[in-house]
Amino acid sequence: MVFKISAFLESFLSAIKYAHVTIELTAISFVISLFLGLIIATIRHFKVKVLSQIFAAFITIYMGLPMMVAIVLYNLIFMTCYPDIALKLHINIPISEINPIFIGYFALIMGYTCILSESIRGAYRGVANVQFEAGYSIGMTKLQTLRRIILPQMVPILLPGMQNSLIGLLKASNLVSAISIIEIMNGALLPSVRYYSYLEGYVAAALVYWIIGATIEILAHYLEGRVGNYNKKSEYKTGRTEESIDRIKRSEEKLWQA
Amino acid sequence: MGSYFDFERFLFVFPKVISCIGVNLQIVAVSMFFGTILAVFVALARLKPIPVLREIISVYISFMRGTPLLVQMMIAYYGIPLLLSDVFLNVFGINLNRLDSVIFVEIAIVLNEGAFLGEIFRGAISAIPAVQKEAAYSIGMTGAQSFFRIVLPQSFKLIIPAYGIDLVGVFQNTSLVFTLGIVDLLGKAKTLGAATGHTLEGYISATIIYIALSLILKGFFLTVERKVYSYGV
Repeated sequence: MVFKISAFLESFLSAIKYAHVTIELTAISFVISLFLGLIIATIRHFKVKVLSQIFAAFITIYMGLPMMVAIVLYNLIFMTCYPDIALKLHINIPISEINPIFIGYFALIMGYTCILSESIRGAYRGVANVQFEAGYSIGMTKLQTLRRIILPQMVPILLPGMQNSLIGLLKASNLVSAISIIEIMNGALLPSVRYYSYLEGYVAAALVYWIIGATIEILAHYLEGRVGNYNKKSEYKTGRTEESIDRIKRSEEKLWQA
Repeated sequence: MGSYFDFERFLFVFPKVISCIGVNLQIVAVSMFFGTILAVFVALARLKPIPVLREIISVYISFMRGTPLLVQMMIAYYGIPLLLSDVFLNVFGINLNRLDSVIFVEIAIVLNEGAFLGEIFRGAISAIPAVQKEAAYSIGMTGAQSFFRIVLPQSFKLIIPAYGIDLVGVFQNTSLVFTLGIVDLLGKAKTLGAATGHTLEGYISATIIYIALSLILKGFFLTVERKVYSYGV
């Protein structure tokens, strides 16, 4: 058995054809998770009663759940419960015609909302309290202060972590292959089934992932450079303390793992 | 869910699923042990200005970061026997195709951890003040001695928080191995489901075990962190 270049090329083209599934999964989940994560982080940062405790407990527990287990579990629950629910709601679509991709979306969004909300919380801590007070002192409401003063300052703090979690999400989106969604990996394996050229298929999939990941890295690097410019000038104005920077670094390390 | 989930079935399945936790823990232990050793050398290679090696290592880290672990596992599973089976068969008399697939999973995770932990180690090693190395040189230690006796032990202290997070991540990543047919927590839940026709109880058992053990590991590392840092770094 040798590495067949022709099979590799065929797998590579097939993987590229299905790359849009992975990219959509990653991008849409990322945007929604970022939005939900921002809401949860804000609730937890301002210590809203009851809600913040519920989210704290939920996130602590949910972070212990591996993405693969979550995806498989949700898929199973959907499979077993769908016929009865469909019967009650008078939906006549058979289960085989439903695209399981929304289970993937659900699992990815749930997982990454938790992860992103943690890093956004870290960024909140990185913005000094003085900034809130300054906002209030000129008569802004809480929301205005958040939107106009705090959030823009959080962007440069968040960027490096966001890059890591975006790449993490790209890799996590690979796990939906377990519930037979055709994304990059399963796409690359489509020709392999015929020739039993699995290695070629997996290498092709890895290459496509690598290209996408490298693109994200280059874009993020460019963005960081741009944002870093602003940050260098105004580092002392934001009044960030050494301690808070250390905390952010730690939360970034968490993301690096994810 | 009512009729789908039966508590008695759950009690019957839970001990059977948890009995397979050894497979997961073994993968974690083996891959963390070798991964840490590999990571130290990866970090060293990134810090030292060795021309070709430096580029190779950065490509290696980029590959490990940019591709999903599942794909890496599959490449190890199909690729290693293809590349090395002749060598191993002739030299060591080992038929790689008959080898347990756990070993390929462990190789994949070790290589993956080498990259991730390597970056963590690199940060910690470069955070050790240069004075420490100079002090070691001043009492006549060689370069390797000063690294392994002075710098590395101090960097271990710095990496504890990141190392804990990483270890929990590896434990969670072991949930992927059932795709290679290894009977771990999830694999056992799947086989039990196929045998009895009730999969949900097994999967919920696996979920509970994963969450509980992740929390325990996190708590353990937090305590270690507090103990270590209470004496000052």
